[in-house]
Amino acid sequence: MTPKLGEEIPELVKHPTTRQLVQYAGAQGDFYEIHYDQDFARSVGLPGVILHGLLKAAFLGQLVTDWLGDKGTLKTFEVSYRGIDQPGRPYRCRGRVTKVDGDQAELEIWGEDSDGNKTTVGSATVSMKE
Amino acid sequence: MATATVVDRLRARIGKAAPPVAATVEAGHLKRFAEAIGDPNPRWLSEAPPTFLVAIAPTSIHLAEAEEYGKGWLNGGNRFEYIEPVRVGDRITATGKVADVYEKTGSSGTLLFIIFETEYVNQHGRPVARLRGTAIRR
Repeated sequence: MTPKLGEEIPELVKHPTTRQLVQYAGAQGDFYEIHYDQDFARSVGLPGVILHGLLKAAFLGQLVTDWLGDKGTLKTFEVSYRGIDQPGRPYRCRGRVTKVDGDQAELEIWGEDSDGNKTTVGSATVSMKE
Repeated sequence: MATATVVDRLRARIGKAAPPVAATVEAGHLKRFAEAIGDPNPRWLSEAPPTFLVAIAPTSIHLAEAEEYGKGWLNGGNRFEYIEPVRVGDRITATGKVADVYEKTGSSGTLLFIIFETEYVNQHGRPVARLRGTAIRR
């Protein structure tokens, strides 16, 4: 597989639920209350419980590894959280090839909320196999 | 100026490594993590998916005193660098440090940024990954 410059990779749409947030809190060991306690979340000015940034990163990681399969290796993966996301709303992960140099490629990756806002933006570099 | 004091105390920690944390990558934990993120790829039954390392050792050194600043935490971002795959049975030692601490004033007021760096080394003494994270107090 040779990534093509400008090519958009297959998107991944996730449907996070409050149940998944609790599951993720346990699996990661992040028990910050904004991810499962509605009253606490509101007390710190949030509209309700929100997704862990690192859960959104995991979704974007899946976007890249699903596309890459066994045809290459993930070298770097970077995400910046620009907005909050709430459970019960679809979270759409997308990516595009922004650079190809021999067997190395770079991707722009992002996560969109249901209104199309890019609430997470980032990049990944991959090394393709022969 | 209580907040200035907190910032000064945190800044004094820049560059100092926290005590290392070691953990073994367990099959059951990998499975629970993959289920939690909703990634059904069978590859993750034996190999760590891209963000798993945050689950075996804390992403940030616990800085309780930073909680004197503002009212809540936000995750600003994460950057992972992968050197070699992490698999079931690997013994990973994570060493973290505070790389930078600074305040920034934006439209929503003044925020405190704490930049963390963690290096993960396997049982053979080889670095497997590095993580840089931005924790924000608001």
